[in-house]
Amino acid sequence: MTGESTLRVIDFGRVSGLRSQTLWHAIAHGVSSGAPPTLSFMLPGEPYVSIGYHRSIDEISPENELPVFRRMVGGGPVYIDDGQYFFQIVIPVAMAPARRGDAIRSLLEPAVEAFNDVGISASLDERNEVVLGDRKICGHAAGQISQAVVIVGNLITRFDHDAAASIVKAPSEVAREEFLAQMRRYVLATPADPGLFLEAAARRYGEKLGLGAEPGTLTDEEQDQLNGFDTLFVDPEWVDGLPTRENGMWRAKVKSGVWVGSATCNGHRVTASFHDDEIKEVRVEGPDETFEELDQLLAALAANPPI
Amino acid sequence: MTSLTIKGFEVRMDRLYDLVHHMWVEDVGDGRVRIGMDSLGVETSGTLAHLSAVAVGTLVSRGEPFGSLEAEKYVGPLVAPLSGTIVAVNDEVFSDPRKVESDPYESGWMIEMETADLAAERGGMIEGNDAIAKRFAQKVTEYRLEGVLAE
Repeated sequence: MTGESTLRVIDFGRVSGLRSQTLWHAIAHGVSSGAPPTLSFMLPGEPYVSIGYHRSIDEISPENELPVFRRMVGGGPVYIDDGQYFFQIVIPVAMAPARRGDAIRSLLEPAVEAFNDVGISASLDERNEVVLGDRKICGHAAGQISQAVVIVGNLITRFDHDAAASIVKAPSEVAREEFLAQMRRYVLATPADPGLFLEAAARRYGEKLGLGAEPGTLTDEEQDQLNGFDTLFVDPEWVDGLPTRENGMWRAKVKSGVWVGSATCNGHRVTASFHDDEIKEVRVEGPDETFEELDQLLAALAANPPI
Repeated sequence: MTSLTIKGFEVRMDRLYDLVHHMWVEDVGDGRVRIGMDSLGVETSGTLAHLSAVAVGTLVSRGEPFGSLEAEKYVGPLVAPLSGTIVAVNDEVFSDPRKVESDPYESGWMIEMETADLAAERGGMIEGNDAIAKRFAQKVTEYRLEGVLAE
């Protein structure tokens, strides 16, 4: 058992898709109950889809045949496979800044330093995205689970853009193509040695939190929690989630500030990509290239970015 | 209704406050209270993307979540400032969470609860002009010192 001045570091290695979600949810409950702040790592053993706590299951393509697990942190549906090496930093609520945006930024900074330590010139942009230049290189999500704050992120050593675009339910093939094109442009794999990344991240998070990094294992209580989460996460009612309300527009985020939107009007479907509130690409499906309501529809899309 | 601006943040003095979780409570009579998020809670949350609440009829204890919010991909609990049964949910804010940001004390209310003993529950919250103003100002100062809020 590690002490109060310790950052517990657990390397789970390759685990099942299910466990790559449930392990850190169990840790969050452990840290809430007095286990030390924890940095964990794992490689999902098979592809699956992870969807954020509040998001509609209908955002996932009906053609998707991969397992779907609903996480207790934010963000939309994402494709996950063994090209994504995951880390989770879990600390008691009292150790995190009160403003959520600051908490996320503060807890991503050591990860960015770790990327740099392994030779990737990463930075944290103003929207709290980990980027190399203007390309996203780390998917992250955050939340408070019980009395712990959790930030999940990944080192993307290989990214299957086609698979990532295919799991999202798109309103038309044109919309899917545009989403895929933007993903290819803005999401980048940065192959680095996961073992070196682990060492660097443990050192950087230890420094940030003022704690000594020590290898550790799950507590008995966390093992019990893990069994509960293993059951919950395959329960169809949990996976389906709560009913959500949609406003008739389709929106898919590529990275913070970059997204694709699509909506219909008078027999036309308009799909557009947006970069920092600017319209970059417009594609119209329908009888006319332009139509009377086009500008209005684009303005409505621009006014409703995914958050 | 008396409204004050304390260090840049609006505060309604006719409410009870849980300043740990930034929730206000308004006594609407017949053992029923209305609950929402205070302006400091709105400020520290960031842009709200999603809200969810447990079903009407659910019994919730003080300090336990009655729902959750999501802002900047961060999911956090909405914590009940008192114990009771949820009797109404404001569908408008759960459809459009931006209403909480634009009007947190009126149309941005979140839930209504029935509580068996409001008099007993009041002890766990802050009320009265002087206490509210003092504690709210302390909280803003504390957040500014921590760098949570801009000067």
